[in-house]
Amino acid sequence: MVGKSLLNLAVFLFFSASLAWGDKCLSPKVQSKVYSTSESILSSQTVFVVEFGLTCKNNVENLNLYADLNGFSVPATRVEGSRGKYQVSFSDEHKKLPSGQYSVRIFDDDGFGELRKAQRLNEDTSGIASLFEVKISHSGASRSFIVQTEFVVALLGIVVWYLAFNAKSKLQA
Amino acid sequence: MGNARKADAKLTKEEELLLQDFSRNVSTKSSALFYGNAFIVSVIPTWLFWRIHQMNPISSAALFIVMVLISTGLVAYAYKNVKFILKHKIAQKIEDGVSREILRSIGDDKKMSKKEKDERILWKKNEVADYEATTFSIFYNNALYLVLIVVVSFYVLRSFSPIVNYIFSVGSTAGLLALFSTSTK
Repeated sequence: MVGKSLLNLAVFLFFSASLAWGDKCLSPKVQSKVYSTSESILSSQTVFVVEFGLTCKNNVENLNLYADLNGFSVPATRVEGSRGKYQVSFSDEHKKLPSGQYSVRIFDDDGFGELRKAQRLNEDTSGIASLFEVKISHSGASRSFIVQTEFVVALLGIVVWYLAFNAKSKLQA
Repeated sequence: MGNARKADAKLTKEEELLLQDFSRNVSTKSSALFYGNAFIVSVIPTWLFWRIHQMNPISSAALFIVMVLISTGLVAYAYKNVKFILKHKIAQKIEDGVSREILRSIGDDKKMSKKEKDERILWKKNEVADYEATTFSIFYNNALYLVLIVVVSFYVLRSFSPIVNYIFSVGSTAGLLALFSTSTK
């Protein structure tokens, strides 16, 4: 009797383990697109938007994914109507997201559980294995002109040339 | 042009002077000025493509040298053409003023013949017209070159790679400058 229940337990564990294993994305392939705010006059906050397409070797889809940027975590949204596409966005004040390299770490359910646990215990989270990372190179939200410099230069050049052309026409008249 | 009126079959000394001053040939001094200026103007886009379009100055050195030389030649050609066209017009416009000034400076010098006075006026007029036409031609062509290089490299060819952009923007700018300089309007 004891032997049979042990066998049942072993079978149950085997299947639940294989189910759990089936939910894990194996050797993920990622194509990502990143947007970051580039100017600060028209925008009140700096925003990072990361959109990525994920394909797994074992064809797992509709995963629950979470993104972490410097200890701030959000769930990734699945993009409606497309397979294996996700989107994450972060926003903060311009000062708190200065120009530089950022790395968004993407976790699945298990990894995110570990991350939360480490965060609760105030432990270092850098050792926790993420599914993959997306690099953001943020060039900073500049406070420069809304108009591009080359536009100003071109405009000035056209004005100077127009004056010169006018003077030339008068000379040749 | 009083002297030209009494034209004989043989050219007078004044007429030779006149022809020489209104020929397309430029003196060595103004030629050096033209080539020096054209060189400086042609080198400026190199900086633009090095610092802003991020071309490597060492690996693109050969390309830069070739394009700067081509551009220098074409820009100097444009300077010469525009100067030649303007010199005539300027000389006509300043004729009265220059002769008045010369006559006043000579004053009541009775010894000087009319021929010599005319020669002095002609010489002064050519000098002033030459100087004005040279400086204006340089200014005008530089302004046009600046506009064309900025518009072509930043707007027309913006989606091309820097090398293609450089070759075509400098080539077309210098080419257009030379082409426009041949128009007489």
